[in-house]
Amino acid sequence: MATDRVGLSWRAELAAGIFAHRDQIDLVEVIAEDYFQAPASRLRALETLARQIPVVLHGIGLGPASAAPVENFRLERLARLVDRIRPEFWSEHLAFVRGGGIEIGHLAAPPRTSATVEGAAENLRRAAALVGARPLVENIATLIDPPGSVMRESDWIAQILTAADCDLLLDLHNLHANGLNHGYDPASFLRAIPAKRIGAIHLAGGRTIPLSGGGTRLLDDHLHDVPDAVYELLEQVAALAPQPLTVILERDGDYPPIERLLAEVELAREALRRGRQRRNHHERAAS
Amino acid sequence: MSAQLLEAFLARLYTDARLRERFRADPRGEAARAGLHPEQCRSLEQIDWPGLEAAAASFEKKRRRKQPRG
Repeated sequence: MATDRVGLSWRAELAAGIFAHRDQIDLVEVIAEDYFQAPASRLRALETLARQIPVVLHGIGLGPASAAPVENFRLERLARLVDRIRPEFWSEHLAFVRGGGIEIGHLAAPPRTSATVEGAAENLRRAAALVGARPLVENIATLIDPPGSVMRESDWIAQILTAADCDLLLDLHNLHANGLNHGYDPASFLRAIPAKRIGAIHLAGGRTIPLSGGGTRLLDDHLHDVPDAVYELLEQVAALAPQPLTVILERDGDYPPIERLLAEVELAREALRRGRQRRNHHERAAS
Repeated sequence: MSAQLLEAFLARLYTDARLRERFRADPRGEAARAGLHPEQCRSLEQIDWPGLEAAAASFEKKRRRKQPRG
Protein backbone atom coordinates (compact mmCIF):
# COMPACT_ATOMS: atom_id res chain seq x y z
CA MET A 1 0.00 0.00 0.00
CA ALA A 2 1.31 3.44 -0.96
CA THR A 3 2.27 5.75 1.90
CA ASP A 4 2.81 9.46 2.36
CA ARG A 5 6.21 10.70 1.21
CA VAL A 6 8.29 13.77 2.00
CA GLY A 7 11.08 15.17 -0.15
CA LEU A 8 13.12 18.26 -0.89
CA SER A 9 13.57 20.66 -3.74
CA TRP A 10 16.69 19.79 -5.70
CA ARG A 11 19.22 22.62 -5.62
CA ALA A 12 22.93 22.46 -6.35
CA GLU A 13 23.65 23.83 -2.86
CA LEU A 14 21.73 20.93 -1.29
CA ALA A 15 22.95 18.12 -3.54
CA ALA A 16 25.72 16.81 -1.28
CA GLY A 17 23.44 16.86 1.76
CA ILE A 18 20.65 15.08 -0.11
CA PHE A 19 22.99 12.31 -1.28
CA ALA A 20 24.49 11.96 2.20
CA HIS A 21 21.02 11.55 3.73
CA ARG A 22 19.30 9.75 0.87
CA ASP A 23 17.59 7.35 3.32
CA GLN A 24 15.68 10.26 4.90
CA ILE A 25 14.44 11.84 1.66
CA ASP A 26 11.74 10.12 -0.36
CA LEU A 27 11.98 12.19 -3.54
CA VAL A 28 13.35 15.41 -5.03
CA GLU A 29 11.69 18.12 -7.11
CA VAL A 30 13.72 19.54 -9.98
CA ILE A 31 13.02 22.91 -11.62
CA ALA A 32 12.43 22.18 -15.30
CA GLU A 33 13.71 25.56 -16.52
CA ASP A 34 17.12 24.87 -14.94
CA TYR A 35 17.63 22.19 -17.62
CA PHE A 36 16.19 23.66 -20.81
CA GLN A 37 19.55 24.97 -21.95
CA ALA A 38 21.72 22.60 -19.95
CA PRO A 39 24.70 20.94 -21.60
CA ALA A 40 24.50 17.22 -22.28
CA SER A 41 26.62 16.43 -19.23
CA ARG A 42 24.13 18.10 -16.86
CA LEU A 43 21.24 16.32 -18.50
CA ARG A 44 23.04 12.99 -18.10
CA ALA A 45 23.62 13.85 -14.43
CA LEU A 46 19.89 14.50 -14.05
CA GLU A 47 19.11 11.14 -15.69
CA THR A 48 21.46 9.49 -13.21
CA LEU A 49 19.78 11.31 -10.34
CA ALA A 50 16.38 10.08 -11.53
CA ARG A 51 17.65 6.50 -11.41
CA GLN A 52 18.76 6.93 -7.80
CA ILE A 53 15.81 8.76 -6.27
CA PRO A 54 12.27 9.51 -7.46
CA VAL A 55 12.24 12.81 -9.34
CA VAL A 56 9.37 15.15 -10.12
CA LEU A 57 9.68 18.11 -12.51
CA HIS A 58 8.38 21.54 -11.59
CA GLY A 59 7.82 24.17 -14.28
CA ILE A 60 7.91 27.89 -13.52
CA GLY A 61 7.84 29.52 -16.94
CA LEU A 62 4.78 28.39 -18.89
CA GLY A 63 2.25 30.71 -17.28
CA PRO A 64 -0.73 28.58 -18.26
CA ALA A 65 -3.34 30.44 -16.20
CA SER A 66 -3.88 32.98 -18.91
CA ALA A 67 -6.48 33.91 -21.48
CA ALA A 68 -3.58 33.86 -23.97
CA PRO A 69 -2.30 30.58 -25.42
CA VAL A 70 1.08 29.30 -24.21
CA GLU A 71 3.52 29.25 -27.14
CA ASN A 72 4.21 25.83 -28.61
CA PHE A 73 7.98 26.07 -28.25
CA ARG A 74 7.61 26.36 -24.47
CA LEU A 75 5.46 23.23 -24.35
CA GLU A 76 7.72 21.35 -26.73
CA ARG A 77 10.91 21.92 -24.74
CA LEU A 78 9.13 20.83 -21.59
CA ALA A 79 7.86 17.74 -23.40
CA ARG A 80 11.44 16.90 -24.49
CA LEU A 81 12.70 17.14 -20.90
CA VAL A 82 9.84 15.05 -19.51
CA ASP A 83 10.44 12.45 -22.22
CA ARG A 84 14.12 12.29 -21.32
CA ILE A 85 13.85 12.30 -17.50
CA ARG A 86 10.57 10.41 -17.09
CA PRO A 87 9.61 12.09 -13.80
CA GLU A 88 6.89 10.62 -11.60
CA PHE A 89 4.85 13.71 -12.47
CA TRP A 90 5.31 17.27 -13.65
CA SER A 91 3.71 20.43 -12.37
CA GLU A 92 3.16 24.09 -13.20
CA HIS A 93 1.62 27.15 -11.58
CA LEU A 94 -1.81 28.67 -11.92
CA ALA A 95 -0.18 31.93 -12.89
CA PHE A 96 0.56 34.12 -15.87
CA VAL A 97 4.16 35.24 -16.27
CA ARG A 98 3.96 37.45 -19.38
CA GLY A 99 1.44 39.53 -21.25
CA GLY A 100 1.53 41.54 -24.46
CA GLY A 101 5.15 40.49 -25.00
CA ILE A 102 6.30 41.71 -21.56
CA GLU A 103 7.97 39.28 -19.16
CA ILE A 104 6.83 39.95 -15.61
CA GLY A 105 9.74 37.98 -14.20
CA HIS A 106 7.74 35.95 -11.74
CA LEU A 107 4.44 34.25 -11.15
CA ALA A 108 1.51 36.67 -11.26
CA ALA A 109 -2.07 35.91 -10.34
CA PRO A 110 -4.36 36.55 -13.31
CA PRO A 111 -7.81 38.07 -12.97
CA ARG A 112 -10.00 35.30 -11.57
CA THR A 113 -12.66 35.21 -14.26
CA SER A 114 -14.33 32.69 -16.53
CA ALA A 115 -11.97 33.83 -19.32
CA THR A 116 -8.89 32.72 -17.37
CA VAL A 117 -10.60 29.49 -16.27
CA GLU A 118 -11.22 28.68 -19.94
CA GLY A 119 -7.77 29.86 -21.02
CA ALA A 120 -6.03 27.84 -18.29
CA ALA A 121 -8.05 24.73 -19.12
CA GLU A 122 -7.18 25.02 -22.81
CA ASN A 123 -3.48 25.64 -22.09
CA LEU A 124 -3.34 22.73 -19.67
CA ARG A 125 -5.11 20.39 -22.11
CA ARG A 126 -2.62 21.33 -24.84
CA ALA A 127 0.27 20.84 -22.42
CA ALA A 128 -1.04 17.43 -21.39
CA ALA A 129 -1.43 16.36 -25.01
CA LEU A 130 2.06 17.48 -26.01
CA VAL A 131 3.88 16.27 -22.90
CA GLY A 132 1.91 13.05 -22.71
CA ALA A 133 0.88 13.54 -19.07
CA ARG A 134 -1.40 15.96 -17.28
CA PRO A 135 0.42 18.40 -14.98
CA LEU A 136 -0.37 19.00 -11.37
CA VAL A 137 -1.23 22.68 -11.03
CA GLU A 138 -0.14 24.85 -8.12
CA ASN A 139 -1.97 27.64 -6.29
CA ILE A 140 0.32 30.67 -6.13
CA ALA A 141 1.01 33.30 -3.49
CA THR A 142 0.08 36.82 -4.53
CA LEU A 143 0.95 40.07 -2.80
CA ILE A 144 -1.77 41.86 -4.75
CA ASP A 145 -5.41 40.90 -4.74
CA PRO A 146 -5.62 40.07 -8.48
CA PRO A 147 -7.20 43.04 -10.26
CA GLY A 148 -10.33 42.41 -12.31
CA SER A 149 -11.28 39.26 -10.37
CA VAL A 150 -14.87 38.19 -9.95
CA MET A 151 -14.33 34.81 -8.24
CA ARG A 152 -12.99 33.54 -4.94
CA GLU A 153 -9.59 31.91 -5.30
CA SER A 154 -10.88 28.49 -4.20
CA ASP A 155 -13.78 28.56 -6.70
CA TRP A 156 -11.51 29.69 -9.51
CA ILE A 157 -9.03 26.87 -8.80
CA ALA A 158 -11.76 24.25 -8.38
CA GLN A 159 -13.24 25.21 -11.74
CA ILE A 160 -9.86 24.92 -13.46
CA LEU A 161 -9.20 21.51 -11.90
CA THR A 162 -12.50 20.26 -13.25
CA ALA A 163 -12.23 21.89 -16.67
CA ALA A 164 -8.65 20.75 -17.26
CA ASP A 165 -9.01 17.43 -15.42
CA CYS A 166 -5.82 18.18 -13.48
CA ASP A 167 -4.92 17.52 -9.86
CA LEU A 168 -3.71 20.19 -7.47
CA LEU A 169 -0.21 20.80 -6.21
CA LEU A 170 -1.35 22.47 -3.03
CA ASP A 171 1.22 24.96 -1.78
CA LEU A 172 0.36 25.39 1.88
CA HIS A 173 2.60 28.40 2.44
CA ASN A 174 0.99 30.14 -0.53
CA LEU A 175 -2.39 29.35 0.98
CA HIS A 176 -1.25 30.59 4.40
CA ALA A 177 0.17 33.80 2.88
CA ASN A 178 -2.89 34.55 0.74
CA GLY A 179 -5.15 33.90 3.71
CA LEU A 180 -3.20 36.40 5.81
CA ASN A 181 -2.71 38.96 3.03
CA HIS A 182 -6.22 38.92 1.64
CA GLY A 183 -8.26 38.13 4.71
CA TYR A 184 -9.65 34.66 4.32
CA ASP A 185 -9.53 31.48 6.34
CA PRO A 186 -7.33 28.76 4.74
CA ALA A 187 -9.67 26.16 6.25
CA SER A 188 -12.53 27.49 4.08
CA PHE A 189 -10.27 27.15 1.04
CA LEU A 190 -9.54 23.52 1.98
CA ARG A 191 -13.24 22.80 2.35
CA ALA A 192 -13.92 24.25 -1.12
CA ILE A 193 -11.28 22.18 -2.93
CA PRO A 194 -12.02 18.48 -3.54
CA ALA A 195 -9.54 16.70 -1.24
CA LYS A 196 -9.23 13.82 -3.72
CA ARG A 197 -7.79 16.31 -6.22
CA ILE A 198 -4.75 17.07 -4.04
CA GLY A 199 -1.93 15.32 -5.84
CA ALA A 200 1.03 16.82 -3.99
CA ILE A 201 1.90 19.48 -1.44
CA HIS A 202 4.51 22.22 -1.17
CA LEU A 203 5.82 23.56 2.12
CA ALA A 204 7.95 26.68 2.43
CA GLY A 205 8.60 29.72 4.55
CA GLY A 206 8.52 33.46 4.05
CA ARG A 207 8.83 36.80 5.81
CA THR A 208 6.68 39.76 6.67
CA ILE A 209 7.30 42.88 4.60
CA PRO A 210 6.10 46.41 5.33
CA LEU A 211 3.74 48.18 2.93
CA SER A 212 4.41 51.75 1.84
CA GLY A 213 1.17 53.09 3.33
CA GLY A 214 1.39 51.08 6.56
CA GLY A 215 0.48 47.50 7.31
CA THR A 216 2.32 44.37 6.25
CA ARG A 217 2.08 41.42 3.89
CA LEU A 218 3.61 37.96 4.08
CA LEU A 219 6.07 37.37 1.24
CA ASP A 220 6.51 33.76 0.11
CA ASP A 221 10.27 33.89 -0.42
CA HIS A 222 11.35 30.29 0.26
CA LEU A 223 14.23 31.64 2.34
CA HIS A 224 12.92 30.86 5.82
CA ASP A 225 11.81 27.92 7.93
CA VAL A 226 8.32 26.52 7.49
CA PRO A 227 6.06 28.22 10.07
CA ASP A 228 3.95 26.20 12.51
CA ALA A 229 0.73 27.36 10.82
CA VAL A 230 1.77 25.55 7.64
CA TYR A 231 2.41 22.27 9.48
CA GLU A 232 -1.05 22.67 11.02
CA LEU A 233 -2.53 23.02 7.53
CA LEU A 234 -0.62 19.91 6.46
CA GLU A 235 -2.18 18.01 9.35
CA GLN A 236 -5.62 19.23 8.23
CA VAL A 237 -5.00 18.06 4.66
CA ALA A 238 -3.81 14.66 5.87
CA ALA A 239 -7.01 14.38 7.87
CA LEU A 240 -9.11 15.23 4.80
CA ALA A 241 -7.40 13.46 1.89
CA PRO A 242 -7.94 9.73 1.44
CA GLN A 243 -5.02 9.22 -0.96
CA PRO A 244 -1.28 9.01 -0.16
CA LEU A 245 0.29 12.47 -0.20
CA THR A 246 3.59 13.58 -1.67
CA VAL A 247 5.05 16.54 0.21
CA ILE A 248 7.98 18.65 -1.00
CA LEU A 249 9.84 21.15 1.16
CA GLU A 250 10.96 24.08 -0.99
CA ARG A 251 14.03 26.17 -0.26
CA ASP A 252 15.53 28.67 -2.70
CA GLY A 253 18.34 30.33 -0.76
CA ASP A 254 19.86 31.18 2.63
CA TYR A 255 20.40 27.45 2.86
CA PRO A 256 20.72 26.16 6.41
CA PRO A 257 22.73 23.04 7.26
CA ILE A 258 21.06 19.95 5.78
CA GLU A 259 20.30 18.73 9.30
CA ARG A 260 17.90 21.63 9.78
CA LEU A 261 16.09 20.85 6.54
CA LEU A 262 15.90 17.19 7.56
CA ALA A 263 14.37 18.30 10.86
CA GLU A 264 11.72 20.15 8.82
CA VAL A 265 11.15 17.02 6.75
CA GLU A 266 10.58 15.13 9.99
CA LEU A 267 8.15 17.80 11.25
CA ALA A 268 6.21 17.32 8.01
CA ARG A 269 6.10 13.56 8.60
CA GLU A 270 4.83 14.12 12.14
CA ALA A 271 2.09 16.46 10.86
CA LEU A 272 1.09 13.83 8.29
CA ARG A 273 0.96 11.14 11.01
CA ARG A 274 -1.21 13.34 13.23
CA GLY A 275 -3.58 14.05 10.35
CA ARG A 276 -3.79 10.36 9.40
CA GLN A 277 -4.59 9.47 13.02
CA ARG A 278 -7.40 12.02 13.01
CA ARG A 279 -8.70 10.60 9.75
CA ASN A 280 -8.60 7.02 11.08
CA HIS A 281 -10.33 8.11 14.26
CA HIS A 282 -13.14 9.80 12.27
CA GLU A 283 -13.53 6.77 10.02
CA ARG A 284 -13.77 4.40 12.99
CA ALA A 285 -16.27 6.68 14.70
CA ALA A 286 -18.38 6.83 11.53
CA SER A 287 -18.47 3.05 10.98
CA MET B 1 -9.46 39.30 -26.53
CA SER B 2 -10.38 41.82 -23.81
CA ALA B 3 -9.11 39.34 -21.18
CA GLN B 4 -5.76 39.17 -22.97
CA LEU B 5 -5.65 42.97 -23.15
CA LEU B 6 -6.19 43.15 -19.40
CA GLU B 7 -3.35 40.68 -18.76
CA ALA B 8 -1.09 42.68 -21.08
CA PHE B 9 -1.98 45.88 -19.21
CA LEU B 10 -1.27 44.21 -15.85
CA ALA B 11 2.08 42.95 -17.15
CA ARG B 12 2.98 46.56 -18.05
CA LEU B 13 1.66 47.86 -14.75
CA TYR B 14 3.77 45.36 -12.81
CA THR B 15 6.95 46.18 -14.72
CA ASP B 16 6.78 49.89 -15.61
CA ALA B 17 7.12 52.37 -12.74
CA ARG B 18 6.21 55.36 -14.94
CA LEU B 19 3.00 53.68 -16.06
CA ARG B 20 2.17 53.02 -12.40
CA GLU B 21 2.59 56.74 -11.67
CA ARG B 22 0.29 57.73 -14.52
CA PHE B 23 -2.17 55.03 -13.51
CA ARG B 24 -2.23 56.23 -9.92
CA ALA B 25 -3.07 59.75 -11.16
CA ASP B 26 -5.82 58.57 -13.51
CA PRO B 27 -6.63 54.84 -13.23
CA ARG B 28 -9.71 54.82 -15.42
CA GLY B 29 -8.17 57.04 -18.10
CA GLU B 30 -4.94 55.05 -18.28
CA ALA B 31 -6.84 51.77 -18.50
CA ALA B 32 -9.11 53.18 -21.20
CA ARG B 33 -6.08 54.33 -23.21
CA ALA B 34 -4.87 50.71 -23.10
CA GLY B 35 -8.10 49.71 -24.84
CA LEU B 36 -9.70 47.99 -21.86
CA HIS B 37 -13.42 47.43 -21.61
CA PRO B 38 -15.24 50.08 -19.51
CA GLU B 39 -16.09 47.41 -16.92
CA GLN B 40 -12.41 46.46 -16.61
CA CYS B 41 -11.51 50.15 -16.31
CA ARG B 42 -14.01 50.52 -13.47
CA SER B 43 -12.70 47.46 -11.65
CA LEU B 44 -9.12 48.75 -11.92
CA GLU B 45 -10.12 51.85 -9.99
CA GLN B 46 -10.62 49.53 -7.02
CA ILE B 47 -7.12 48.06 -7.35
CA ASP B 48 -5.29 46.92 -4.24
CA TRP B 49 -2.81 49.85 -4.27
CA PRO B 50 -0.48 48.69 -1.45
CA GLY B 51 -0.47 45.21 -3.00
CA LEU B 52 0.37 46.68 -6.41
CA GLU B 53 3.47 48.44 -5.10
CA ALA B 54 4.55 45.39 -3.07
CA ALA B 55 4.03 43.03 -6.02
CA ALA B 56 5.83 45.34 -8.46
CA ALA B 57 8.82 45.59 -6.09
CA SER B 58 8.88 41.81 -5.68
CA PHE B 59 8.69 41.21 -9.45
CA GLU B 60 11.51 43.69 -10.04
CA LYS B 61 13.71 41.87 -7.55
CA LYS B 62 12.95 38.57 -9.26
CA ARG B 63 13.71 39.99 -12.71
CA ARG B 64 17.08 41.15 -11.42
CA ARG B 65 17.78 37.60 -10.26
CA LYS B 66 16.60 36.40 -13.69
CA GLN B 67 15.09 33.04 -12.81
CA PRO B 68 11.60 33.01 -11.29
CA ARG B 69 10.82 30.50 -8.56
CA GLY B 70 7.44 29.37 -7.34
